Amino acid sequence: MTRYLRLFVVQMRISVAAGMAYRADFLLEGVMAIAWMALTLLPLFVLYSGRKDVAGWDAPSAMIVIGYFLAVRAVLEGVVSPSFVDLVERIRSGAFDYVLLKPVDAQAIVSASRFEPWKIFDLIGAVVLVIYAFTKIGHPPALADLGLGLVLFVAGVLAMYSLWILCAAASFWVVRLDNLTYLLGAIFDTARWPVQVFRGLWRFVFTFVIPVAVMTTFPAMALLGRLDAATALAVIGGSLGLLVVSRLVWRTAIRSYTSASS
Amino acid sequence: MSATRTLRALPTLLRVGVAETVAYRAEFLVWILTTTLPLVMLGLWTSVAQDGEFKGYSSAAFVAYYLANLIVRNLTGSWVAWQISEEIRLGAMSMRLLRPLHPYVAFAASHLAAVPFRSVVVLPVAVVLLVSSGASALTTEPLQLALIVPSLVLAWIITFNVMFMIGSLGFYVTKTMALLNLYFGLFSLLSGYLLPIPLLPVQIRWFAEWMPFRYMLSAPIELMTVKLDAAAAAWILVAQSGWAIATLVLALVVWNRGVKRFEAVGG
Amino acid sequence: MIRATELKKHFRVHKRPPGFASAMKSLFRRTYETVKAVDGVSFTIERGERVGFLGPNGAGKTTTLKVLSGLLHPTSGSVEVEGHTPFKRETKLLEAITLVMGQKSQLIWDLPPAETYAMNRAVFDVPKPQFDATLKELTELLDLGPLLDKPTRQLSLGERMKCELAAALLHQPTTLFLDEPTIGLDVAMQVAIRDFVRSYNQRHEATVLLTSHYMDDVVALCPRIIVIDQGVLIHDGDLRALIKTMDPDKRVSFTLTTQVADEDIVKLGTLVAREGQRISIKVAEAEIPAVVGHLLGTLRAADLAIEDPPLEDVLRVMFGKHKAQPA
Repeated sequence: MTRYLRLFVVQMRISVAAGMAYRADFLLEGVMAIAWMALTLLPLFVLYSGRKDVAGWDAPSAMIVIGYFLAVRAVLEGVVSPSFVDLVERIRSGAFDYVLLKPVDAQAIVSASRFEPWKIFDLIGAVVLVIYAFTKIGHPPALADLGLGLVLFVAGVLAMYSLWILCAAASFWVVRLDNLTYLLGAIFDTARWPVQVFRGLWRFVFTFVIPVAVMTTFPAMALLGRLDAATALAVIGGSLGLLVVSRLVWRTAIRSYTSASS
Repeated sequence: MSATRTLRALPTLLRVGVAETVAYRAEFLVWILTTTLPLVMLGLWTSVAQDGEFKGYSSAAFVAYYLANLIVRNLTGSWVAWQISEEIRLGAMSMRLLRPLHPYVAFAASHLAAVPFRSVVVLPVAVVLLVSSGASALTTEPLQLALIVPSLVLAWIITFNVMFMIGSLGFYVTKTMALLNLYFGLFSLLSGYLLPIPLLPVQIRWFAEWMPFRYMLSAPIELMTVKLDAAAAAWILVAQSGWAIATLVLALVVWNRGVKRFEAVGG
Repeated sequence: MIRATELKKHFRVHKRPPGFASAMKSLFRRTYETVKAVDGVSFTIERGERVGFLGPNGAGKTTTLKVLSGLLHPTSGSVEVEGHTPFKRETKLLEAITLVMGQKSQLIWDLPPAETYAMNRAVFDVPKPQFDATLKELTELLDLGPLLDKPTRQLSLGERMKCELAAALLHQPTTLFLDEPTIGLDVAMQVAIRDFVRSYNQRHEATVLLTSHYMDDVVALCPRIIVIDQGVLIHDGDLRALIKTMDPDKRVSFTLTTQVADEDIVKLGTLVAREGQRISIKVAEAEIPAVVGHLLGTLRAADLAIEDPPLEDVLRVMFGKHKAQPA
């Protein structure tokens, strides 16, 4: 266990050191975070300049969904995506063999092999946005709601992570898949809207097939006190289930890579 | 490198480009699928407009806009900036510079080679668009219809030039990813990719109307979905042509300067 | 100890002929064929031995190493390394072995080797004092001092290879699998690495399995060689014994100082090579004294040398014979 902890710390330290190499980046990343947040909020601004309420969500509550979106995206772009790019490169160059030869679970090594430490700005921005939304609402969230909101945030991150592991597993069968990271990002983009805004088939897809609703809408609802216990449990259960499934698929991918089945 | 030799090399370049594209079936599919933002927006805005027009756009109008968006984006998108920055990073650029073929031509050829395949994928979308929207949201003016293809070609050229220029910045800056993200943000906003330009807040709309982004994406869409008089339609093509030339010059200047710097530093 | 019994490894490979039409066809349907990379190989290697794997390209050497190190599952047959089944990749085994692939790097490209070493230390759970001592030993033996803090991409090929070796040995493995470790390196560096491997083997009683295209690597380092061709083991044993059985004649080289007719030279032995006045002939061992006497005395040849046939020639004959046999 300590082995894994120490590995994580070393990987974090290396990425931060590499990131600090260019000091101009510090400023650039800060500016980028603000610019990106503005861009994310624009459609919201346009939407609510023409309507007061969309599918039961008013402007401040929709802002909270976007806040969760920004937070989960910060984790995606800060840890998951860079590590995935690293993994694909290793598979392509053959250096992935070395990962298999280490006495540490391969999934652990590749999950957090690279970081973009500046994404912490995005995370901070998300928190600021949520706080601002609550000032518009007029009162802070109830303590229980806050707790549930945090728990579901973790569940959302786990769901997103599991989707990434599934993509990573796919890249064993089809070697040149660096575009997959953009696909994941593109799909994840749908998470910025409350899932109720979508109708019919779309809503079904985004709730059960590619559960972006799990990552943003439900946690936002929890924070706003609008989520019933049954749904909350279902979300947590679903995330854990997805985690297990992704682990199994990953193991199958490794077995295929080492031609265990042939 | 002579122009005639370049022309003679072109068929082989295109053929190899096609083989490359086909070699990796799944990646190819994924690339097609990554332009999903228009579909997401489509889902959102059609839901919103179902209760009534949103600032002049009906549900059908949104469908037409975003499907046209998808078609144009798929046909004109370029990834040459990624290619260039990767080649610089991995050291393959030095090799490429030794070959007697200008990289602009080489990259353009490999991109053009992918267009037939992207057209094949785009075709069903186009059919859905025609069937679902019909004449109500699409133009029927013959002049406009005739100008769609030239407009797409010019849009492709402008997009390629701009991406080529950004890629060339990789000779100066190591973190081209940050630059690309910034560019994509501006592009989404100002080209009509994220939202139709008329729906943008007033201050931004003004910007969008004269920056090149509009002519990379929105221009062909406008020709497909908005009723324009002959002068307006012609003006779009004229503006696109102007930007095509301007961006070509800019791209080649940045490239040349960049290569000189690259070679001075030792490649 | 390493033991392989009737090891087989077959691959399904997708066939893609050139041309536009086949490229389009491969988009929808692919044809596969089975490649028998390793087809029934057996051997036993004791602790502390240095064994060389030889064979032409595509013979199955790298595949065998990959199966031995656990990267690939065998199609059939059994493999045992230090009492473990490799493909289970148990922690105890992974801590005891190491694989170095000359064509692939485990060093992080944009960062100094020292960072990769820190990673490996965390992964192998090496206590700090032991890690420091090992790193010191490796730095001295391989002369790594100034290299440790330069980003890997700035190192030359030889420097990178040395750092690779160090990265692979930080956890003090007792079995070393080396796949083409000296590929692309200059002669001086090849010698340095050979010396290092020999010294490591002696100090730590580590078993060494080496594959290489460079005969010199194998001749200098491995008293025992295993020859594989087309997935089949065709020789396993002493290097000198191999040469003696395959090609018992010696090579005699000399420089002529006078004009000698070709027929006279052929009388002494089979002509192997002639470069101006420098001649090389094959002579049966029993006839050496007579031939040498004649060369030095009557013909007044200079710069006389008597050698075993080069390993390349022996192997070429061996592989040629092997191909001629019915499959």
